[in-house]
Amino acid sequence: MLSRGSLSRLWLFVHATFVVVSCFTDMEPGSGVGVSSQPNGDRFKIEGRAIVPGVKTHDWVSSARVLVEGEEHVGFLRTDGSFAVNDVPSGSYVVEVVTPTYRFEPVRVDITSKGKMRARLVNYIKTSEVIRQPYPLQIRSVGPHSYFMKRETWGWTDFLMNPMVMMMVLPLLIIVLLPKVVNTNDPEMRKEMEQSMNMLNSNPELPDVSELMTKLFSGSKGSSKAGSSSKSSRTVTKRR
Amino acid sequence: MAKLILLLLNWIFLCCNVAAVFEDQVGKFDWRQQYVGKVRFSHFDSHMQSSKKVLLASESNVFAALNTRTGELFWRHVDKTGPEGNIDALLQHGQDAVLVIGNGHLLRSWDIGVGGMNWEMVLDPGSFRSACLVGHQGAVKHLAVLKKTVISLHYLSNGHQKWVENLPESETVDFQAVYSGGNGEVYALGVVPNSHLAIVVYSLEDGEITKQVSVEAPWLSSIPASCSVISRGLLTCVDSTTMSLYTLDLHLQLEMTQIPLQTLGLDVDPGFRPSLVSHQPNPAHPPLSEFLLQLGPEHHLLLQHNDGQIVTLRDYKPALLASFATAGEKTVVAVMAPKNKTFYLLHDGKPEKLHVQAFLKKDDSVGYRVMVQTEDHTLTFIQQPGRVMWTREEALSDVVTMEMVDLPLTGAQAELEGEFGKKADGLMSMVMKRLSSQLIMLQAWIAHLWKLFYDARKPRSQVKNDVSIENLSRDEFNLQKMMVLVTASGKLFGIDSKTGDILWKHYLENIPLNAAFKLMVQRTTAHFPHPPQCTLLIKDKDTGLATLHVFNPIFGRRSQVTPPALPQPILQSLLLPLMDQDYAKVLLLVDDQYKVSAFPSTKNVLQQLQETASSIFFYLADSGQGRLSGYRLRTDLSTEQVWEVVIPTETQKIVSIKGKRSNEHVHSQGRVMGDRSVLYKYLNPNLLAVVTESTDLHQERSFIGILLIDGVTGRIIHEAVQRKARGPVHVVHSENWVVYEYWSTKSRRNEFSVIELYEGMDLYNSTVFSSLDRPHAPQVLQQSYIFPSSISTMEATLTEKGITSRHLLVGLPSGGILSLPKMFLDPRRPEVISEQSREENLIPYAPELIIRTEWFINYNQTVSRVRGIYTAPSGLESTCLVVAYGLDIYHTRVYPSKQFDVLKDDYDYMLISSVLFALFFATMISKRLAEVKLLNRAWR
Repeated sequence: MLSRGSLSRLWLFVHATFVVVSCFTDMEPGSGVGVSSQPNGDRFKIEGRAIVPGVKTHDWVSSARVLVEGEEHVGFLRTDGSFAVNDVPSGSYVVEVVTPTYRFEPVRVDITSKGKMRARLVNYIKTSEVIRQPYPLQIRSVGPHSYFMKRETWGWTDFLMNPMVMMMVLPLLIIVLLPKVVNTNDPEMRKEMEQSMNMLNSNPELPDVSELMTKLFSGSKGSSKAGSSSKSSRTVTKRR
Repeated sequence: MAKLILLLLNWIFLCCNVAAVFEDQVGKFDWRQQYVGKVRFSHFDSHMQSSKKVLLASESNVFAALNTRTGELFWRHVDKTGPEGNIDALLQHGQDAVLVIGNGHLLRSWDIGVGGMNWEMVLDPGSFRSACLVGHQGAVKHLAVLKKTVISLHYLSNGHQKWVENLPESETVDFQAVYSGGNGEVYALGVVPNSHLAIVVYSLEDGEITKQVSVEAPWLSSIPASCSVISRGLLTCVDSTTMSLYTLDLHLQLEMTQIPLQTLGLDVDPGFRPSLVSHQPNPAHPPLSEFLLQLGPEHHLLLQHNDGQIVTLRDYKPALLASFATAGEKTVVAVMAPKNKTFYLLHDGKPEKLHVQAFLKKDDSVGYRVMVQTEDHTLTFIQQPGRVMWTREEALSDVVTMEMVDLPLTGAQAELEGEFGKKADGLMSMVMKRLSSQLIMLQAWIAHLWKLFYDARKPRSQVKNDVSIENLSRDEFNLQKMMVLVTASGKLFGIDSKTGDILWKHYLENIPLNAAFKLMVQRTTAHFPHPPQCTLLIKDKDTGLATLHVFNPIFGRRSQVTPPALPQPILQSLLLPLMDQDYAKVLLLVDDQYKVSAFPSTKNVLQQLQETASSIFFYLADSGQGRLSGYRLRTDLSTEQVWEVVIPTETQKIVSIKGKRSNEHVHSQGRVMGDRSVLYKYLNPNLLAVVTESTDLHQERSFIGILLIDGVTGRIIHEAVQRKARGPVHVVHSENWVVYEYWSTKSRRNEFSVIELYEGMDLYNSTVFSSLDRPHAPQVLQQSYIFPSSISTMEATLTEKGITSRHLLVGLPSGGILSLPKMFLDPRRPEVISEQSREENLIPYAPELIIRTEWFINYNQTVSRVRGIYTAPSGLESTCLVVAYGLDIYHTRVYPSKQFDVLKDDYDYMLISSVLFALFFATMISKRLAEVKLLNRAWR
């Protein structure tokens, strides 16, 4: 029994190892792909200009590249921010200016077999939708990339404005401050309060919680006394 | 309205699912190293006295400027790979550097100060031969490009063509070199092999042929290999068969003068092909009359041409390399003598090239610095007194495969571990052992404290945490590991994953050019007295012959174990979990006769193999014939074919096969549904994902296919075909899912597709999985998404126990590495949200996946040309170690479910302690107040 259990475990083990094996038949994914460009077709040039408002081109062009459809075609930026990607066969391409610091929106460029160019907004869902963009491309940076999350910082105001804290602090304030604001010695006020208490306790049949508790804990004294005792306590407060 | 709610929901999910970097974490546990690749051309920027730039053009189509003081990059431009981006020539004049790219297809001029491009010109077709700068009357304004049939002249300022002329008789004459001596003429030099030399002279102004001569030279076959122009247009050649120097004045003579080397008192080393090196400091002036002649592998000569006479100025023997350099008016020759043999030992590679930078010192004497390039792609920059300023390991730009190995335990830790490993021998000795090991740990702790105290007194800059192999040890959470990298050049590196320092390197010589590498960890550091052991299988792709290199991954030294000789081509290698008595995992090698050999092959191992042979299966794939076959091991170590799947090669071809990683753990067997029932995952460890692509690449008819095959039985579990799609296909296969990415030719976009396999609501056999006993086919769910970028590579995160949620790490061509939660690639994402799906936390289906820059784990530290991402678990369940390699190497840690098992690094100790103290004091005070009050009441 035991041996069988261990054997089956070994079975699993060995099976698990099987997949470790990777094949040695040297297959690089994507080899032989990219032959899609027509051998006879003419080659065209995609031109444009990238602008980062308020920043000198010298500060960012050295790290920028123009990628056409991934890395299928690569272009570089001139020192004035303009670019040209040579040797692009006719087709439809997504042109993107890539820098580590600034963000640029991609543009789709369509090239007909005669070399007519058209630029439009990239829409991956409705691929045939045409919202024209200027050509030669004018790509304006949308702003710097935001790579980082903001740390949650801690301040007193955050702490106080926390709903939980508010819920704790407000009743405390009411308990402490209300008796001081409302003069409890005033008989009219007391009457009013009693009335409002009665309003709250709309169902007189419902046993009071405090009474229930006293009943529970002072069960030996008998339930009949409980009511009277509470009454007497009330009288005590009245006397004061 | 519904859409709005959907959007809102989506947003909420996005917010609760962030795995981003915080700004203060920059550089805390991540590092990046940037490389350029094997250097083909280099130029020191000498137009300014204070310049510290060296320009490098590499074989990886990268053009970069390095800081000569530190060896770091100023800027770098990465062109596309392949012959279209190949750099043919690098010419530099002043502030401009001109590159000839793609076999003479493009001319690009760069401003080396800014790193931006000046201009780019497309040239006429034709294969590139040579290029040179053309100066006239002391100014360099043009550049000549020689192609097979045409020669053209361009302005340096804007790249425009001044003139282009056809070369006469270009069908028979092979034009190979172009030369200009600054006298208003451009010389194109061609050769008809073993017959004559053709010289065509063009006028600089209009491209008119002013002179055309042909000179008898039956011994000449290649001009760049054996000829050079010296002094005022004197073409000098050297020939090994006739043992002579030949000179020809390009202006006057019509015949070559032969000067036998014997008359100069010289002779060539037998079997060596002598070569000439001349130097032209300024293209507007003719070259110097001095030149270098190499007569043997270690023999160089400095010669001078003086009034038709050639005189030997100096004989350098032994000398490995020699090179010229100019500073102002002075020119120096730098010779590298092999007398410091230590150089070899330091760099494990023969020096290949010498780049010399000469500069004028303040007292007008010449100073120089030297950059040496060695066989193993290392660049070493040496200053005058022989001090190495920096080294760059350019081999690391081409990492092929890597592994991460745990660091060894320290002595104290090992002691403690050893206590548990050994058999118990009496109570008393156990107690003593425990006490002694505790004592050792206390000692180590005190030493650590003392070091902290000692360091704290020193200024911060002086405190250096020197990492060396000797003091390497595992940290508490096993976050620091040894990265073992294998590069295409055959150089192995051991890198400390915490700092990125190279701790050891080992150059394997005689690696075939098209070698395939496979790195396996046979023994980890866990078996203390035995050293860890890695095995590298190097296979020649053409012949299939393989060799094994066995080494210690911590020290990089070759292991004492002698690997077996492998006379037969190897088809497949398997690392079994079986161990020999020394805790080394067994490596099985299958040769082309389907015979299996084991390494190590001790008696113990063979016995174990015989016992378990019936349960060892493996597969072989032959993409050429489209055949996948499964084999079983027999007890006599021969094999037996169990199954075969043939994929017709006329319509499709196998492009990749992905199994699951062996060190992957799946924590939960199923998923809890909204109605509290459990959907069990189909966790078959033997499942293979086979990707095929159609051979027809027409965009209407192309397709890709995914086959899920059980590797033991050959049973096809599932098959999916994506029509109107083509590769490259990137696949990740893990747990019970396969994610793949392809290009949709119909909609011209990249799409992700995910397949998940489930057993159903109940498990067939919950204790053990066996491929041979699974009667029910799994349920298959699939969903596809649009991805708004193409991708370079893809990998899934991996953690120790598999509890943490999974993320996909996607390398993008822009250089970013995106951490995409697997949650978004879930085929159970509903189109219509219901109560149950909300309960299950499923995100409503949206066709487009979003790339958020906050999800880039490498923020602005872009990794160029990512080729692979390696993930490894750490000792912390929440943390996964990631290495992305390509042209650059980047290492970081990711927390797919945030850091749930350690305090966050922004944990507010101050707040907690202040609150505690406040509460403590509040109780003290209130206690005191209460006492006072009670006392007062008592008095009343």
